[in-house]
Amino acid sequence: MPVLEVRDLRVRYNNTGPEILRGLDFSVEASDFCAVIGPSGAGKSTLIRCINRLVEPSGGSITLFGEDMLALNARDLRRMRRRIGMIFQEFNLVNRMSVMDNVLSGRLGYTGSLRSVFRLFPREDVEKALELLARVGLSDHVNKRADALSGGQRQRVGIARALMQQPDLLLLDEPTSALDPKISRDVMSLIRDLAREFDVPVLCNIHDVQLATEFCNRIIGLQDGIKKFDGPTETMQKANMEEIYAMEVL
Amino acid sequence: MSSQDMNTPRPAAPPQWTRFPFPETLIRYSALLGVLVFLAWSVHFLNLDLQRVLGAFPRLGAILADRYFPPELGFILDQRFLMSVLNTIQMSILGGAFGVLLAIPLAWFASHNVTLHRWIFYPFGRLSIMGCRAIHETIWTILFVTVIGFGMFAGVLALTMFCIGFAGKLFSDEIEAIDMKPVEALRSTGAGPLQVFVFGVLPQVKIAFVGISIYTWDVAFRAATVVGFFGGGGMGWYLQRATYELQSTRVAAILLTIIALVSISEVVSGWLRQRLAGERLA
Ligand SMILES: Nc1ncnc2c1ncn2[C@@H]1O[C@H](COP(=O)(O)OP(=O)(O)OP(=O)(O)O)[C@@H](O)[C@H]1O
Ligand SMILES: [Mg+2]
Repeated sequence: MPVLEVRDLRVRYNNTGPEILRGLDFSVEASDFCAVIGPSGAGKSTLIRCINRLVEPSGGSITLFGEDMLALNARDLRRMRRRIGMIFQEFNLVNRMSVMDNVLSGRLGYTGSLRSVFRLFPREDVEKALELLARVGLSDHVNKRADALSGGQRQRVGIARALMQQPDLLLLDEPTSALDPKISRDVMSLIRDLAREFDVPVLCNIHDVQLATEFCNRIIGLQDGIKKFDGPTETMQKANMEEIYAMEVL
Repeated sequence: MSSQDMNTPRPAAPPQWTRFPFPETLIRYSALLGVLVFLAWSVHFLNLDLQRVLGAFPRLGAILADRYFPPELGFILDQRFLMSVLNTIQMSILGGAFGVLLAIPLAWFASHNVTLHRWIFYPFGRLSIMGCRAIHETIWTILFVTVIGFGMFAGVLALTMFCIGFAGKLFSDEIEAIDMKPVEALRSTGAGPLQVFVFGVLPQVKIAFVGISIYTWDVAFRAATVVGFFGGGGMGWYLQRATYELQSTRVAAILLTIIALVSISEVVSGWLRQRLAGERLA
């Protein structure tokens, strides 16, 4: 059974505006590291953000871990979101907070309101955070402020925060576009290794087709809100690529 | 945008651009003209007599010289007056502290981007802050004096209301201008609204809030000197008595004291905020 199943997904940002996603169907299996590629404006970010309902779809269905995402009330949605780790293009860390607090904030979904107001995280959480920080190579930066780190280091904090959630699915929105090519590769390898280690399926927006073919076992090609390709990485041909990026001439 | 649009040949029209597009410009300048006409009409309505306006300044000088001079500086050292000065400072600190503490949750509710609930808490926060601002501090004083009687308690409550309005507006402006990216990241971890506020919003606005709080106290202190005039406690009471008893030189001494204290509070708060600004850049 697929982890994530998307049927006829439609999105418009306002009632009179254009449809950004125009009926998408796909599913993600438990063993997938699935790339979503497509030209700028194709709707990749919109798609990723629909999965955990940072953007509300206007039609279709999303079934995650067997539950209908679009039927959840606010409380159940929060419970669902804590099982979904998300990593962002611009890291989205709280700059004025320490690396440790940024990583611990990945546990907020599991922490009571009163405890979190006083930042009283359980001991296991603190230990787990230290462990993850060591795993992503940031043991020396635990108490630094997030904005004192380099881009690559900040994304590692983002990765640690997402893994703190002990997620059952990882959503990545162009996790390496803000990094240089060498660091991008390092970060992608780190994510791939960790995803394998923790056995988490991944759905990943990516601009760079080279990176996508290198790290992902499956590719979904989007163009102007419509799926143009869906299959194992090996089956993607030059012709498929040209079709997906045909709009780029605009 | 379909591929059809791309292929349809369009008749070549020369690109056009003007700084003064027709309807917008007309509306904008008409509005400006309207405002000017209204101002001119208001001035006319005042029936301003230029001669009297110019004559007022020398006359003010003359009155100050022979009625308010020399100020009765000895009164400043009067035990009870000194006590009332202390009370004024206490009132401004209490009113400022209560006001700021209440303003923080209200500002949270009243910030559209992170409010607890868009249809319940948002209007509640907005209306509370607006209500506090809409009513002038002297009117708050009169209201509280009527309800709970003369004295500092009424004054502190009036100043609290004033500070809620003053700080609440500035706080919520600050919250609405934060970077929403980390907020979104926290929401995506399953954090609730209070957690998002504590982890995503407060760290971003903390330093600005301290600056605003100091500024609020500064303004509250200025207001506190007047609150007593209407029975709210503090040095304003002596100002009122001296005024009604026509003890002009004493009034002069009290006014000088107020000017001196307000200047000091302004220097202190300015200095504190400047130090904060340095921290903010760090
Ligand atoms: N918040 C929003 N409100 C209105 N329109 C939006 C919003 N976010 C995105 N859009 C529109 O939706 C379309 C798809 O945007 P999206 O960000 O999903 O594209 P993308 O494939 O991620 O592009 P990129 O590669 O540049 O990140 C664009 O036309 C964009 O203008
Ligand atoms: Mg995008």
